[in-house]
Amino acid sequence: MSLRWPDPASIARRVALLAIGILAWEAMARSGLWSPLIVPSVVRIGYQLWLLVTRPESLVEAWYSVARGLGGFALAAVVGVALGVLMGRSALAAAFFGPVFSGTYPIPKIALFPIFIYLFGIGSLSKVLLIFLECLYPIVITTEAGGRAVNRVLLWSAANMGASRARILWRVVVPATAPFIFAGFRVALPIAMIVVIITEMISSADGLGYLVMYSLASFKTDRMLAVVLVIALLGVALDRLVVRLRNRLVFWERLESYYAE
Amino acid sequence: MGASLRSRWIGLALLAAMLLIWQLAMRFEHPNFLMGPLEIARHFGEALRSGELLPHIGASLVRSLPGFIIGSLVGVVLGLLAGFARSLDQLLSPPVFLSYPVPKIVFLPIVMLWLGIGDLSKIVVISLACFYPCFINAYYGARGTSTIMVWSGLNMGARRSQIFRKVVVPSALPLVFAGLRVSLALSFILLFSTEMINARSGLGFLIRQSESSLRFDLMYVAIVAVAALGYAGDELLLLVRRRVLAWQQATSR
Repeated sequence: MSLRWPDPASIARRVALLAIGILAWEAMARSGLWSPLIVPSVVRIGYQLWLLVTRPESLVEAWYSVARGLGGFALAAVVGVALGVLMGRSALAAAFFGPVFSGTYPIPKIALFPIFIYLFGIGSLSKVLLIFLECLYPIVITTEAGGRAVNRVLLWSAANMGASRARILWRVVVPATAPFIFAGFRVALPIAMIVVIITEMISSADGLGYLVMYSLASFKTDRMLAVVLVIALLGVALDRLVVRLRNRLVFWERLESYYAE
Repeated sequence: MGASLRSRWIGLALLAAMLLIWQLAMRFEHPNFLMGPLEIARHFGEALRSGELLPHIGASLVRSLPGFIIGSLVGVVLGLLAGFARSLDQLLSPPVFLSYPVPKIVFLPIVMLWLGIGDLSKIVVISLACFYPCFINAYYGARGTSTIMVWSGLNMGARRSQIFRKVVVPSALPLVFAGLRVSLALSFILLFSTEMINARSGLGFLIRQSESSLRFDLMYVAIVAVAALGYAGDELLLLVRRRVLAWQQATSR
């Protein structure tokens, strides 16, 4: 709604806040109180950032991270939505899978990473599968809640007009659940990014998480901060993408407030 | 009640069946990094008795609990206030919502650089990660307060601070607990990843160390301990929620 285009005053406020932050950082860097290793100057971070986004070899690292993250996320999205809708609409499926999901939900799946490495190798597969596992839970849980909350009158009307079960599922249940599904996606996508970066930090020879640890270990903190900035911007950009997609597909119910734009 | 009880039994039966299949599968030829549930349980008992496990559990809790408590406390308080007072909303919400999708673990190297590689840097990163879900949920909880309730309160002559305490906070509590639950799960994820990346103690360290020294028994013990800890924390939180939100009928977990 009106929040889509924030008023000039609030834009100015945000730009001012950002400028103050950058200036404060630069002042800290120039004050000489800290070693440039701990607080590198903005200029050097910017230079490294420029190198990062212009050199193909660093773009490849970013591509590895994005591909792993989105791969695991997409897998979780497909399986999670199917399972969630099933659990939301069928008491039997809910009784069958429900306890398994709610019982293992609070267990940090990241602890399984070493086993995954042994089972699926140290390459991308173990990381993608771990991302899949971590993303599956929020998607299943929110989709199930949405599937349960479908308005009964809509289901009855569709059945009354002679729609088959499959048709009801596809034309009524899935659209009615879509806002919940996207809420689950918005929780899962940052988790996918977290797990990509963590697994790349722990064991990898490529990807942005590896680049962070490598730059830190070789005392290139300006480079490390530039990579951190890239990861942060990537996280924000992916989130925006999901919101865009959501507002396009779930056009009858816009996301409002700061979440939107 | 009967249906929920029955679904509980079906779920338990499924769990038991999975464990049984797992145990039976281990009768076949398998690589030594795989282990059956009975074997893991035996090693778990041994590790508890030998004192190999408890110090690491203690070290992990010393990092995760302060991180969770600080991060979620600040998040809940600021989120409630931002949802209540417009000036704070304009000040806090844009930066918080903008930085929310940033994976917080990337700040670990920076924080390590500034605060050292000890417990403090881990606590800071954990509390940073726990802040966000709490802030966002408390914010929406406070914003979702029914206007009629606020009007009635005002009509009966309540002051702003009273409205906040007696109307906004209680009506935001269900979402606050939802946020706390997400934060608790996140705090465990971050705890074990920070410990896997660098630590000299803690369960994440134990998993890494026993894995690289091929002590798979100890690795499984540590993983089970992690799982048990995550589960126990979640159950504890749900217990508190049932107590605090006794007036709201809990429909789902």
